[in-house]
Parts: sequence; structure tokens; C-alpha cells
Amino acid sequence: MIHKGDQIAQDLVLKPDVCIVGSGPGGSMVAQRLARGGAKVVVLEEGGFWTKDEFDMQEATAFPRLYQDRGNRASADLSISVLQGRAVGGGTVINWTTSYRTPDDVLAFWRDREGSVLTPEALRPHFEEVEQRLGIAKVDLEDTNANNRAIYDGCKKLGWQVDTTRRNVRGCLRTGYCGMGCPVDAKQSATLTYLPDAIAKGAEVYADCRVTKIEWSGTRATAAIGALLHPGTQQATGLTLRVEPRVIVVSGGALNSPALLLRSGLDQGPVGKMTWLHPVVAMGSFYKDRIEGFYGAPQSVASHHFAHRSEGAGFFIEAAPVHPMLSAIAMPGFGAPLRERMEKLANVSATIALMIDGFGEGEEGGTVSLRPDGGPRLDYPFGARQYECFRAGMKAIARLHLANGADEVHSFHTKSIRIVKEADLEAIDTAPLGPNLFGVFTAHQMGGCRMGADPSRAVVDPQLRHHLVKNLFVVDGSVFPTGLGVNPMESIYGVSSWAAGHVRAALS
Amino acid sequence: MESRRGLLKKTVGGAVLLAAAGAVPLALRKTKLREPPPGRKLLFFTPAEYSIWAAVADRVLAREGPDPIAPSPAPGQVDVAGKADAFLSPLPENDRKDLKQLLALFDNALFSFLMGGPPRPFTKMDPAQQDEHLRSWQTSRLAIRRTGFQAMKRLSCAIYFGSPDTYASVGYPGPPYELVKSVLGARR
Repeated sequence: MIHKGDQIAQDLVLKPDVCIVGSGPGGSMVAQRLARGGAKVVVLEEGGFWTKDEFDMQEATAFPRLYQDRGNRASADLSISVLQGRAVGGGTVINWTTSYRTPDDVLAFWRDREGSVLTPEALRPHFEEVEQRLGIAKVDLEDTNANNRAIYDGCKKLGWQVDTTRRNVRGCLRTGYCGMGCPVDAKQSATLTYLPDAIAKGAEVYADCRVTKIEWSGTRATAAIGALLHPGTQQATGLTLRVEPRVIVVSGGALNSPALLLRSGLDQGPVGKMTWLHPVVAMGSFYKDRIEGFYGAPQSVASHHFAHRSEGAGFFIEAAPVHPMLSAIAMPGFGAPLRERMEKLANVSATIALMIDGFGEGEEGGTVSLRPDGGPRLDYPFGARQYECFRAGMKAIARLHLANGADEVHSFHTKSIRIVKEADLEAIDTAPLGPNLFGVFTAHQMGGCRMGADPSRAVVDPQLRHHLVKNLFVVDGSVFPTGLGVNPMESIYGVSSWAAGHVRAALS
Repeated sequence: MESRRGLLKKTVGGAVLLAAAGAVPLALRKTKLREPPPGRKLLFFTPAEYSIWAAVADRVLAREGPDPIAPSPAPGQVDVAGKADAFLSPLPENDRKDLKQLLALFDNALFSFLMGGPPRPFTKMDPAQQDEHLRSWQTSRLAIRRTGFQAMKRLSCAIYFGSPDTYASVGYPGPPYELVKSVLGARR
């Protein structure tokens, strides 16, 4: 059963076998696996519970309702806009459905550097089950929209690797509104799959419940304390929920999971350190013909041609949907120049380059600490490695769109660079880069509670058990020691399915 | 003037001085007030802060010449400042305080003067001066000014272009309600 914040009239104390904090791909998966095995499971989720009839395809409704900080989450200096889900189902409610297994070379890096025990063989059955349950299948090229097709055709003309993606949908109408909650339940989010499975086996889900801290003593976690929120206002109702389980699983996602550990005084090891974002730079390419990037599957093509670069950090290229609100926030400038770009919205192809972070020697990534109100504060300073990669990504995007016949390509620098020919690309090398001098975004948050054998370098052990508190697990994208180089949802599901076995063992 | 600006930009103390400037007497040059629409009760902004945000939205969302696609409403018609007030009201106390300081600084005549602009509040500048003031914040070497500019620009844009009243002006036909309705109906 799913309980909403305003359906609870008094303080509650619950004593299940397992308390799971968060209901995204990590929490929902562990809940399903454990409930199926007979455990009494309670899931606490800060976000609200929403269904397809409430997804009105309006950005002004969706972002405040379904995203962290009502759609305004950002790094402390606002230089990085953070798109991160906040709802029953977590990020799976609002992501763009792109589904990849964890690359073999990434798993090898984790094993070599951090003592991870994850192998392709160990994860294969978990990925296979996830793919079947979520209907993950490769997109036919004919089903891509013009926004994605431009990437495909441009890459092909340049001889670059490119392919269609795999998506977790069934009966997709390709409306283009994945990021605002699927209005027809085609997207196989956790809300439609693993959570109902868990609930059918007796799991209880409490929506609108912000876990403020974990109580612990010695090497044992004793309780998770939740503040109940009103579903409409998200303000605290004044009621609390105290859960005293045998095992606690933190699955709040990167940024929120490390913040919860810090609020709880669990600051052993590198909590909040080495947070990875796949930092994104974007470009807008203007075509004579209408692109209508607001309709169609938002992401159906990707190029990993530049994933492994000798010059520095790798990056991969994908599309972003082109709805007015998100586009206006991302586009550079103000006043007449901004309005002129917006008036060409239907003719814009929006393409992003996602930096693969975490693989450079000494690379530190971002840091999560606590804001005065206890929420996560994110700092992610950029240096030469990042700037080189951003510039390379911008130039690659411009090149593929010029090859595909775009009239002009605009950068998202504060002073936008207009590119109509190859020679114009030089300007990207000299344009100033720094916080809020160009647009940077993230939709893939990872790390901050990294897994590893060495407690000085990792928060949880290779089985995702906390190094100090033995009945506490962290199971979500925050345990990844690096970025992935692919969209993370399926990796989180697969690793969580694998980790559920270790949580179950801790129960017995 | 150039040396003062240089000092402000280069020192950490500059940021403190800039914050203090919000209370300096030159700032007594008052904000040009603007009335919220009838029925709009302010939850977070003071009347002065509402007026500053409304003035910022007017320039951030300004356009020149006739609308090429379809008529676009003025920011005031969408009540960008009023909706910003409602959006910001539940923010944590620390963020609320930061925002209020930001707005006070942005409309501060002394601060404008110290930064090489006209010695008057933003709300009393002419449109060209306002654009230059915004541009100076957008590209400032002081990171806190760039951050402040982004905060105001992003929320103003989100509110304006998130409004269905503006969709036609950017060539966006809006969500495909009929398609969704027909498919859901058929499934039922």
C-alpha cells in the first residue's frame, strides 16, 4: 500500500525487517526483491505519489512536482543545473528512458582500482531480468524524431560511431513528455513495475516522508526518522514516522544519500566526496525545416565515438527534448537575442555532450556537504581537464550538425558563439569558461557514497554494506566509484538487484 | 573609479563590502514601486522586491519589433513577478535571506555607481541602462554577480515560457492532449 503524507493522522512507530529510504531504481528494486523473499518492508519516499492522470504534460506543473528542489536544484554557485527526480519511483518517473548495461571496462576499472567484485558475468542475470521486466528494447531508426535523427545522420556523414538507444517502454506513443511523467503509462517506471510488485508482497510505501536522520550506536543503525510532508505544499505536517528495522537501506540517490549520512553523523570515509555528474554542455542547431524537438521520443540516438579519448576525458553525445521552459533556461543571453532564439524553437535541434567523469588520475569530481537547512549542497569545481572536454564536446556537436546541413549552431556561452562554418569553431577555444559563463547541466548524478574495499577510500564495502555500521546498506547510484559513460538507470537497477542478495543475507 | 572596481573585484573583502553597500545611505534612493495585479497577495517579496523582480523580468524577456509568429504577452500579463513570489515563498530561511540581499544589492544606486553604472536604482534606469546593468551582472568578474543574474534570469524565463499563454509565440503547439485522450479512451 502507498500512504500519502496527509493520510496519516498521528506519529507512527513501525518495526519492519527492512526500512528502505528512497523509491527510485535502487530502493524499488531492493524492496521488490526482499518483499518477494518474505521480508516485511517499509519504503520511505520524500516525493509525492503521482499517476498518469495527474501528468498534464506542462513543464510548469511537472518540474515543481516531480524534481528535486521543485526543479531548481543546482550547484551552490548555480553554475550547474541539476535535473533529478523526486517522487515515488524517483528518477524513473521523469527520465528519458535511455537504458544501458554498465560497460565492461567500467566494471573492470572498479575492480582494479577499488576492489569491487562486480563482473559482467555476475550482473548478467540481473540485467536480463530488468530488461524483460521493463520492456527494454532497441529503438528502430524509423521511430526517431528529427531532433535525434539529426545526430544520427550527422555522425554517419562524418564516419563517427552512432546508434539508436534502448528504451524501457511498452506501447509508447512517442509524445515526447517522458520528462514530465508519462501520460499513458508507456514508460515502465518503478512506479509501474518493481514498486507494485513489492506492494503485492506486503511492502508499505510512505510517500511525502523526508528522512531527516538515521539513529545509530556503535556498529548498529537503530532507527530512521521521517518527517511527514503535506502532499500539496511539501511543508512538514509536524508528524513524524519512526522506523526501527533490523536493516536500513539508503537509496536516496547521489546527493541525497550522502547528505542523509552526513546529517546522521555518519561521516566516516569519503562521504559526499567524488560525486560524479556526467557534466553536460549543450548546443542549439538551427535548421530551415521544422525539427519539433518537443515531440517524439526525447532520446533515441547516441554516439559514443568520443568516449575514449587520448586527449583527456571522454564524452558521449545524445539529444535533449526542446520544450519551451527548459530551453529558455538553458539558452544564453536575455532580452531580444534570447527571444529571437526562442521564436525559432520549432527549428532547433538540441544536442548534448556528456563528459565521462571519474577516470582521470587524481580527479576529484564534486563534493556534497550540508546546507544550513540540512539539504545537500553540491560543489563541483572545473579545471583544465573539464574545460578541454567541454570544448571538444561543443566542437563535435557543431561539426555533426554542420555536416547534417544546419544553418547555424549556437553555443551556450554567456556570449553565444554563432557557428556557420568549420573556421568558426576556433572561437570555442578562446571563449572564456568559468562558473556561469557557459551553461552546464547534469541529469546523471552518481557517487558520493562510493563502494570499495578500503574504508579510507570508500563509504560502503564491495557488497554495499556500510564500512562501520553493519546493518546499514547504501544501494543506489551514489555507490558508483566513477561515472559510467552511459545513462545510469539500468546500471542502478542491475547493481541493486545484485545487492539485494547481500541485504537479504544480512537479515538472516 | 577603475581602481575601486578592480579592488572590489579582486578581493574577498569586496564581496563583504558589496553586501554592506546595501545599507549605505545612497541606497536611500528608493525603488520605483509597481503595483501587483489585483488579488495578488505577496507571500515573500516586499512591495519593493516585487517591483525589482518585475523590472528585471521586463528586460530579461524584452523583445524588439512585431511578434513574428503570434502575439506574445508582456511579462506583466503573465505576472512573472507575482508567480516568482509564490514560488520563492517556501524556500528555506537561508535562501530567502540571500535572495532578499541579492535584490537589495541589484537595485542599489551606490552599488551601481561603484560598478561604473548610473547612480540610481535599477528600477529607475531607462531600458538601455537596465540592459547594460543586467549585462554587467551577467558577465561580471565577480562570481556572486553572475550567480545573481542567473537566479533572476532562470526563474523569470521558467515562469514566462512555462505559461501556455506564451506557447504560440515560440511556435510550440502545446501538448498533444487529443492523441493521449483518444489512446487512453481506446485502452479503456
